[in-house]
Amino acid sequence: MGFYKMSEIFTTLISTCFPEFILVLFILFGLIASIFFNTHFYKLSKWVALFGISLALCSTFCLQIEPDAYAFNGAFLNNIYTVFFKILILICGFFLTLLSRNMIREKRDRAFEYFSVFLSGLLFAMCAFSATDFVSLFVCLEALGLSCYLLLSFSKGADSKQLIFGYLVQGAVVSALFLAGLSLIYGLCAQVSFEEISLYFANAAVSQAQPQILLTFSLILMMCTMLFKLGLVPFSSWLPDTFEGASCPIGAYMSCIPVIACFGVLPKILMIFLNYTFTMKIIFACIAVITIILGSLSALRQDDLKRIMAYSMSVQSGIMLLGLCVFSVYSLSSVLFYLFCYIFANIGAWAAIIVLFNSGRLQTLNDLKGLIYHRPYYVIAFTIILISLAGLAPTCGFVAKLYIFSAVARSGFIFLPFLMIALIGTVILVYAYWRVIRAMFRRIETDIEVDTHVISSKFILYACAFAMAIICIFADKIIQLCQLAAYYM
Amino acid sequence: MSFLSLIWLIFAPLIVAVIIMFPQFPNHQVKVRRFAKWFASFHFIYALLFLTFFDSSLFGMSYEKELTFFGMSWLKSLGISAKFALDGMTLLLVVLTTFIVLVTLFVSKIHIRSKHKLYYSMVFLLESSILGIFCAKDMFLFFVFWELSLIPVYFLISQWGNSEARRSAMRFTICSFVVNMFLFFGMLILYYYNFAVSNILTANIETLNMDNKLYPFWFQMLVFVNFLLGFVIRVPFIGFHSWYPDIQSKAAAPVNILLSGLLLNTGVYGLIRFNMQVFPEIFKIFAPVLLVWGLVNILYSGALCVVQQGIKKMVSYANISTVGFVMMGLASLNSTGFNGAVFTALASAIIFSALFVVISCIQFRTKSTYITALGGLGQVMPKCMYLTLIICFAAIGLPFLIMFTPKLMVLTGTMFSNLDQQLLVKVAAFIGLAAISVSAGYIMYFFYKVFCSVLLDQWKKLKDLSPQEASVLTALCLVIIYLGVCPMSIISVYQSVSSIILDVLQV
Repeated sequence: MGFYKMSEIFTTLISTCFPEFILVLFILFGLIASIFFNTHFYKLSKWVALFGISLALCSTFCLQIEPDAYAFNGAFLNNIYTVFFKILILICGFFLTLLSRNMIREKRDRAFEYFSVFLSGLLFAMCAFSATDFVSLFVCLEALGLSCYLLLSFSKGADSKQLIFGYLVQGAVVSALFLAGLSLIYGLCAQVSFEEISLYFANAAVSQAQPQILLTFSLILMMCTMLFKLGLVPFSSWLPDTFEGASCPIGAYMSCIPVIACFGVLPKILMIFLNYTFTMKIIFACIAVITIILGSLSALRQDDLKRIMAYSMSVQSGIMLLGLCVFSVYSLSSVLFYLFCYIFANIGAWAAIIVLFNSGRLQTLNDLKGLIYHRPYYVIAFTIILISLAGLAPTCGFVAKLYIFSAVARSGFIFLPFLMIALIGTVILVYAYWRVIRAMFRRIETDIEVDTHVISSKFILYACAFAMAIICIFADKIIQLCQLAAYYM
Repeated sequence: MSFLSLIWLIFAPLIVAVIIMFPQFPNHQVKVRRFAKWFASFHFIYALLFLTFFDSSLFGMSYEKELTFFGMSWLKSLGISAKFALDGMTLLLVVLTTFIVLVTLFVSKIHIRSKHKLYYSMVFLLESSILGIFCAKDMFLFFVFWELSLIPVYFLISQWGNSEARRSAMRFTICSFVVNMFLFFGMLILYYYNFAVSNILTANIETLNMDNKLYPFWFQMLVFVNFLLGFVIRVPFIGFHSWYPDIQSKAAAPVNILLSGLLLNTGVYGLIRFNMQVFPEIFKIFAPVLLVWGLVNILYSGALCVVQQGIKKMVSYANISTVGFVMMGLASLNSTGFNGAVFTALASAIIFSALFVVISCIQFRTKSTYITALGGLGQVMPKCMYLTLIICFAAIGLPFLIMFTPKLMVLTGTMFSNLDQQLLVKVAAFIGLAAISVSAGYIMYFFYKVFCSVLLDQWKKLKDLSPQEASVLTALCLVIIYLGVCPMSIISVYQSVSSIILDVLQV
């Protein structure tokens, strides 16, 4: 009997949460190894992490995804939508691991520790997609936030701790707000599971009896934590400072993993509420548009590449939120495609910054001067990536922009002004990226030593630039995939 | 003809641009230039073959071709495909584009002194994107090429212009990007509401049509105005014209030829293809406004032309003034006016490119484009003077030269237009007629100031045209005379287009 139960548990494990299980094993291994292995083996840690991520990536094929697979008494869900996001997170984690060379060289004694925290961030992001109730969702998001704080503490630099402290405090406040919103919802319908709550509201809508204001208020409270993680408008102040204080690989991590996590989870929350509160749609659209305009205007005046990337993340999240708040299958798939393109362009841009950093320069626009005469391929790759982020023609960024804005256009007259403002905002953003490109093409008299031995960062830079062009050509396949995932949402 | 593929026609210059930019390609100016000239010649001949085998009796598009990648079409699930096709009007624009690029390359030698590889690759990138604009059958593909054409324009102006060119180029590019967003906005709405009406997700230009009463009037108006804004800045029309003389006066001489010959036509093409074909009802309502706008264009920029200090600005304003006739012809809403408008666009591209070739010869010799510094050059450059005289006469619209027929057609079309505002139409036709004498005034003023008045001492040793320059100008003059003598050879090619578009208009 006991044996039968064990095998049953094991089958469930393999068919529903195998990748998570593998990650847990590797996190534990990393923690144990950090005790026993000394600094001589620090290089091993990166390979262990890469191996773990690839193993988890392979194991996603074992998952049972159709029909929706539940585990642990319905607390853990797997379908095409969640698997899409899990694969995205794992690929992203793979690239980010390759970018982490600096971190483990600077802190050799803590290399294994670093990767344990790194992998646990991925793990909790993956669990957040599979969550079916607000409690486990909150726990996952909070743990993801914790691993971000821990990773930030690995950053070097005199004032980085001070810059990061603001992030920590604000993060604590918004997670308290999330809990407050959650308790209001619980008070309203005495449920925590998504399904039950949406059922409650469906019934309430039939009987015309739901308390609108309380619902909107609690939703706003819960959204605060999402807005904070994405760097959207009321909570965008932490973003540039934290990114400036963080080391480059951690900046890359912070601008990818939480963004994917939030955009994987947001549709689940919005699906419950958004059909009943039209005002929320307008509020979200306003937030998105204000973020786009403010973020791109602030990006215009920055000289630090990291700060530009921070504002860029904020604006891109704003565009995605605008796509999300009109809420249909079409718009959801467009958001997924935009996210897909944004993630790879973003990793490529951070890889370019890391290459720059490794060649002994700082990350201001002045340090980019004259690069075209010394590193033409680097400049071309970086230019392609920036063009893609700006959403201009021969790259996949254009297709993504076209798709997401067409989704906004088809959602009704009321969103057209928002669409127009967002389009104008993207033009401002184009100029912000253009300043970076122009700096690289500037002539410089003194001959500069450019020396890079970091294969992995350069490889990622070129791979991402190549992907931008390839995805543009074969966008159709990926769009179909995104539509499939969105359909199963 | 199976060897005539639009894909090759459009993407061959792009491939050549990439080849030239490769580090392995010799960075030797003679080699780059020769390669570019040979390629442009072959490309022009290839485009001529399209014209030769074109069946002008056919209605609709021909030479249709889809760009696929390993058998997959581009963005099929969004209803967007990389389809290219030609009709008579665009075929002529395509041939004209390749011809003007060829002319430009023959003039570039003396003006481009640095960054040869970048220059030639940018010229070919511009050519490729302009051909893409004309041939794209899909709205968003059109937009891709439309935005792509801004990049080479920026580089061509900023890198080889004078000291202020960089700033002007940046200003133009940013303004264009902003205006392009209006265009993009209009396209997105059109794309979706076409889907809502017909339930087919498509961006194919031929199938888009806002001509139904399902949507509120203000909505159609909104989309129409967005498109109009996007296109009038390129044409350019008064109110949106300030970039054009500004840029032309600062860019290098060969770039002037490219801008006046290639860039302006794209705006006219957009007006016809989108504003006329997709929104016929709104176009009818807007026609009187456009008619008046065209007239203002002719008169106002004609007046501005006379007071300019530099000959480049002068010719640019003359160019803007001529484009006003295009608007008048389109607004008359009959086939005579339409055919005349398209012919005017083609003719003005040829004439003003030729005038900019003349200016490039003068600028090379005198290093100056100010009217006060020039004068009496006809005494030392007789060949140049006589060829310029032909071009100037053509610009005025004398008989047996290229501009006579189109202006006549435009004015006739306006006179017999079926618009409701009959008084306006008649008055406009008469003012247009009078405006021809205005154009005679400013063109001859330009000619007099440059070639006829007193010769300054420092120009007494100037040399006349070199054989190469003379042959380029002669070729342009021959085209001008040939198309002036037998205009039907060109009108017959695109006649069917006008009947298609005007059928939709139901006038």
